Amino acid sequence: MVVGVIFIPIGIAALLASRSVVEIIDEYQTACIPSNYTSNDQRVQYIQDFTTDKICTRLLTVPKYMKKPIFVYYQLENYYQNHRRYVKSRSDKQLLYGEGASLADTETCKPKQLLDDQPIIPCGLIAWSLFNDTYSFTISGNAVPVNKKGISWKSDRYHKFGNVYPENFPNNLPNNENGSLIGGSSLDLNVPLNEQEDLIVWMRTAALPTFRKLYGRIEQDLKAHTQLTAQINNNYNTYSFRGKKKLVLSTTSWLGGKNDFLGVAYITVGTVSIFLGLAFFIVQWKYPRPLGDISYLSWNQKPATS
Amino acid sequence: MEFFKCSIGGVIYGKGVTEIEKAAARRNGTGIEEMESPAESHEKYFNFDDDRLMRGAWRNEPNPELCKEFFRCLAVCHTVLPEGDELPEKIVYQAASPDEAALVTAAKMFGFFFFRRTPTSIRVRESHVEKIGRMQDVEYEILNVLEFNSTRKRQSVICRYPNGRLVLYCKGADSVIYERLMERHNPFKDTNRDHLEYFGAAGLRTLCLAYRDLDINAYEMWNEKFVQAKSALRDREKKLDEVAELIEKDLILIGSTAIEDKLQEGVPVCIETLAKGGIKIWVLTGDKLETAINIAYACSLMNNGMKQFIINSDTKEIRDVEDRGDALETAQVIERYVAERLNESLRQAVESEQTQTGLELALVIDGRCLMYALDPELRGTLLKLSVMCKAVVCCRVSPLQKAQVTSMIKDGAKKITLSIGDGANDVSMIQAAHIGVGISGLEGMQAVMASDFAIAQFRFLTDLLLVHGRLSYLRISKVVAYFFYKNLMFTLTQFWFNLYTGFSGQRFYDDWFQSLYNVVFTALPVIIVGIFDKDVSITNSRKYPQLYKAGIENIFFRWRILIIWAISAVYQSVILFFFPIKAIEEGKNSSGRMLGLWDAGTMAFTCVVVTVNLRLFLACNFITRWHLISIFGSILAWFIFAFFYSGFRNPLDKQGNIYQVIFVIMGTWYFWYAIVLVPVASLALDFLHEGMRRWFAPYDYHIIQEEEKIKGVERDELLLVESPRQAPEQSLELTGLHGEMSKHTGYSFDSPCFDSFFASQEGVSMSQRSYDIARRASMRVSRRQSSDLGSDSPPPGHNSLI
Repeated sequence: MVVGVIFIPIGIAALLASRSVVEIIDEYQTACIPSNYTSNDQRVQYIQDFTTDKICTRLLTVPKYMKKPIFVYYQLENYYQNHRRYVKSRSDKQLLYGEGASLADTETCKPKQLLDDQPIIPCGLIAWSLFNDTYSFTISGNAVPVNKKGISWKSDRYHKFGNVYPENFPNNLPNNENGSLIGGSSLDLNVPLNEQEDLIVWMRTAALPTFRKLYGRIEQDLKAHTQLTAQINNNYNTYSFRGKKKLVLSTTSWLGGKNDFLGVAYITVGTVSIFLGLAFFIVQWKYPRPLGDISYLSWNQKPATS
Repeated sequence: MEFFKCSIGGVIYGKGVTEIEKAAARRNGTGIEEMESPAESHEKYFNFDDDRLMRGAWRNEPNPELCKEFFRCLAVCHTVLPEGDELPEKIVYQAASPDEAALVTAAKMFGFFFFRRTPTSIRVRESHVEKIGRMQDVEYEILNVLEFNSTRKRQSVICRYPNGRLVLYCKGADSVIYERLMERHNPFKDTNRDHLEYFGAAGLRTLCLAYRDLDINAYEMWNEKFVQAKSALRDREKKLDEVAELIEKDLILIGSTAIEDKLQEGVPVCIETLAKGGIKIWVLTGDKLETAINIAYACSLMNNGMKQFIINSDTKEIRDVEDRGDALETAQVIERYVAERLNESLRQAVESEQTQTGLELALVIDGRCLMYALDPELRGTLLKLSVMCKAVVCCRVSPLQKAQVTSMIKDGAKKITLSIGDGANDVSMIQAAHIGVGISGLEGMQAVMASDFAIAQFRFLTDLLLVHGRLSYLRISKVVAYFFYKNLMFTLTQFWFNLYTGFSGQRFYDDWFQSLYNVVFTALPVIIVGIFDKDVSITNSRKYPQLYKAGIENIFFRWRILIIWAISAVYQSVILFFFPIKAIEEGKNSSGRMLGLWDAGTMAFTCVVVTVNLRLFLACNFITRWHLISIFGSILAWFIFAFFYSGFRNPLDKQGNIYQVIFVIMGTWYFWYAIVLVPVASLALDFLHEGMRRWFAPYDYHIIQEEEKIKGVERDELLLVESPRQAPEQSLELTGLHGEMSKHTGYSFDSPCFDSFFASQEGVSMSQRSYDIARRASMRVSRRQSSDLGSDSPPPGHNSLI
């Protein structure tokens, strides 16, 4: 009962918070491939073709008034960022210290540890597979700026990534040189890692195969029914594993994003406990069993069976 | 063995009340007023208080002469050797049996202090004989000793007073003495018989005392025959017996003694309590059949309402066959007899089980029959029968048989057995049983050395089982189940996670979390529960021995319980994995940032630690501050560890996965939401189950707990401080109650030659116990001399002469 009384308000608060969040989700991985590429193999071929320009334009309608800041996320599905070998394939030491021995400390980064016998910085599969779709937005021809500062956790920026400059990064090579595969985005060799926030966000690996990562913030309110044009550079290959790509625009509440789960769970637990409390109450009222009545002891109730 | 009561000249002396009388009174519902036991100077072997006899007061009794004879008989007619200083306080009597020592001690206490024995005489310091307060040393010349043996059941001494009076003193079983009494001049014969019956019923061991004045001429004539018989080369024993018959007649009854073979204090109550607790009790004893049955009665193990199956080798047919002397034939006859009786008994037992409800059965079997009944062919029948019986008494069993019976129950009936005994002959049995308990007492330390538990008195067994045993069962089952649960739950969350990692085996929790989970974060509380948990108070544990049945039926550790724990573990693991992960899946905090794998893992782990620790609150029966300290301490330990672990970067760790994580997640609302919601949601099922259990199908201890809550708990007092380790018991062997009482009058004498009884069965001949007083007396003298010379030969115990 008590649990119910406490939980239901909390749940309602959480639910309200979650409901106040406005979200626009646009799944674009199929739409952003020309319609003549029908089969999945063809799509993979398309995405791996570096020669073509893969810009695609999506029209988004703002359903409700969206208060700034509006967060821009990309959501990947069926993407196992939590796979054991993937998770391991990084060197936190290298990312933070970058100097001397730890620079070459790429043991854990297999299979992306060395390029031409030189250590890769940042090494490992995670960094190599950095997401490289880009988004830009316009409202009736006016550009809507996307702020890409401060999208990563401070602790990551300050404590996990150091003033280390990328080197030997395979994605920076000209396409297909040495037959090495381009995993994802290239890195700006003149910017230290702790300022490359896209990488920092990407490298906080997700717990589930469906995950969102913060891309940037739109620092202006969007009125309802505004037509927002999103220009997407569709580079990232999720086609070979049939992963979905979604563009998400979302506001936040005090609690966070749109997530009914907590609210619903609280309300459910609360309701169930109130219900059970009542049930017990009724049972006690209808079939009272005097407490501590020793005539209810098993050996007082039935003849002792030996 | 204590001198407890006596009857002299038709008057009963002695005020004590025996345990058995108390038990009987309790059974009948008539309480006996608790009488103060004689507190003054409690002498070993002597528990008697009656002002009419003590300190010379007997002179004022109706029969002072008879009293005098009574005391003299006690002081003279025995085979005891005095040792040590010849002072009443210091002297030690070396007797062949404690009974004898008790009788001589009694004489001493009455003022007839036997203090010296030479090969031909006995010296007694008599007080109050001529006059109150006057002491004199009297030397009785011992002319002949007619020794005890199990056929004669009596012992006589012919002695000459300093004044030349020639007397035969005789003591023995009532049956043999009564046969030999003079027709006339025995006015107390009938009253004495009543007294004997009364003593017997009270569980006392009785002896009749008688004397006969001898005429010097008749004696001389008889003595010649006696000397002849004594020097006979063939059948000496038989001839001696025959000669003794000639003189042990026309006796005049003096009275009877009653010795309490102290069943240890509280034994009947203890056994009754244990029986109520669902423990089945077997008595395995070396005593005679009648004695064993009497003990069983005394212990409330058997009563007259029971149907008894007695399988006894001492029947007429068997004796007849034995007399023919053909060992093989005897064996066959006994075997056939045992088989018949067993099958017949089993048939009747099954029948009565079907027809009459509530009729309790008892089986009494003696060692010789048991030897055949333990044959592989009959063993099954015996087992079936004995399992059906409420009480099983095996008498005259050898130490080996005790062990055999124990292992038969252990292996055959698949029950848990506990053996308790105090003597060296119980050692094999103690070792054969699952649990061996030794009583440290008069009979030496062998039993204790062989045992798993040693207690000082039989009655402490109640506490050992009902309090310590039951509690430790409770605790162990709880701890084991809890361990099972907490690891299953923890591992399952990991398993659920792997469904989402492409089955790659990625860890959900950090290595260190995982390794310290069992070692630190959830270790202490369960140990505390294992040490302190207690369902009902100790007083109530004793008050409701039936609670013990829970252990026998294994209520707290059967599959059902484990499955319930497992279901709870599965349910909780689902909640504990999915709730945190759902909570942060699409979540971001108000700054819009996303949480990652290690954030989820750490959050889930926090919930796991909190839940698992709080779960103990539901499992334990009462909460002390140690519970609180350990449970909240463990949760706190986790947080402290998490702060340290994510606060400092370990330079040796190549992957600082958890670095800073806890601070990040604690900065989100999700974390706080989850940490309240998840434990509550996951414990809800257990809470519900526990509540339903208590309400609709309460365990017995639940009800008693409620009673305690309402009425308050009496202060617990612990009798024993024992290591509380014990497993559940099903049947209990019991022995060590070496008492001898016969059914009606309680005849007793020196312990029968038990060893030779078995020796003769196995074909080993063993000389009867020697009562060659002269030899022993001279031995004593020689020892004294040798000790004067400074040699340090150890004094032989009385057993050395057996």
